[in-house]
Amino acid sequence: MGCGCGDCESMMQPYMDGMLSDAEVDEAREHLERCPPCDKRYRFEEHLRHFVRVASVEPMPPELRERLNGLRTTQPPA
Amino acid sequence: MSESAPTTAETRRIAEVARDRVRFEEEALELSDQVFRVARRLVGSREEAEDLVQDTYARAFRSWQQYTPSTNLRAWLLRILTNLNIDRGRKQQRSPDLQPLEEGDYFLYNKLESTLPDENPDEERVIERLSQNAVVESLAEVPHDFRDVIVLVDIGEFSYADAAQILDIPVGTVMSRLHRGRRILKQHLAEKAVTA
Repeated sequence: MGCGCGDCESMMQPYMDGMLSDAEVDEAREHLERCPPCDKRYRFEEHLRHFVRVASVEPMPPELRERLNGLRTTQPPA
Repeated sequence: MSESAPTTAETRRIAEVARDRVRFEEEALELSDQVFRVARRLVGSREEAEDLVQDTYARAFRSWQQYTPSTNLRAWLLRILTNLNIDRGRKQQRSPDLQPLEEGDYFLYNKLESTLPDENPDEERVIERLSQNAVVESLAEVPHDFRDVIVLVDIGEFSYADAAQILDIPVGTVMSRLHRGRRILKQHLAEKAVTA
């Protein structure tokens, strides 16, 4: 995998994180269309990131919610 | 009527502040799930995360007037949380030696792909070779400077700018730590990948 070009290396991360300008996004997309190894790697990275996000979620313990409510200095309006 | 009796304007102002405070506390509490989610991955244990979130809310409710209304409240809370976490004196960790870029970046993919019988498998199926535990454990093994940015950007879904503000580091540092941190994470994941 990988085309070894420095451009996609520096562009991939901000592209995936949604940090590029519109013009740069177009440029990145064009590159991905032309470069199957990069495209494959990009899709892998995207799936991986999604998997990391989903796999790392742990629900908030209900007791903690109670404790946080107990910290309130104000009462919710009736 | 005595001189010290509050004027109507003053009474109104006091009532407004009270209302703002109620609103602040409600909005902050609505974000607690998201705050916990990030906290849980910043520290090693659930107990630590619970304590950290609790201390964060105690401080936030005390210093609520330092929050500028209609700015990012979630980022403001996380700023308190990461500061408290640093105050707790976490130890400096050395960044591990990484494999060369080529190997480091493709190693995980190649390793996962090699566990599947078919040639050129779908990316989603490749990812399925990873377990949830592997992700949690691998993330915990990433040195905290790098882990902080991964947790904020990838799990908390904060922008680079917000992450920079929360951690009080330049945006460029967020980007470089993110890049390096993700490579470290992938290296750990590759070590834990199911090779059956």
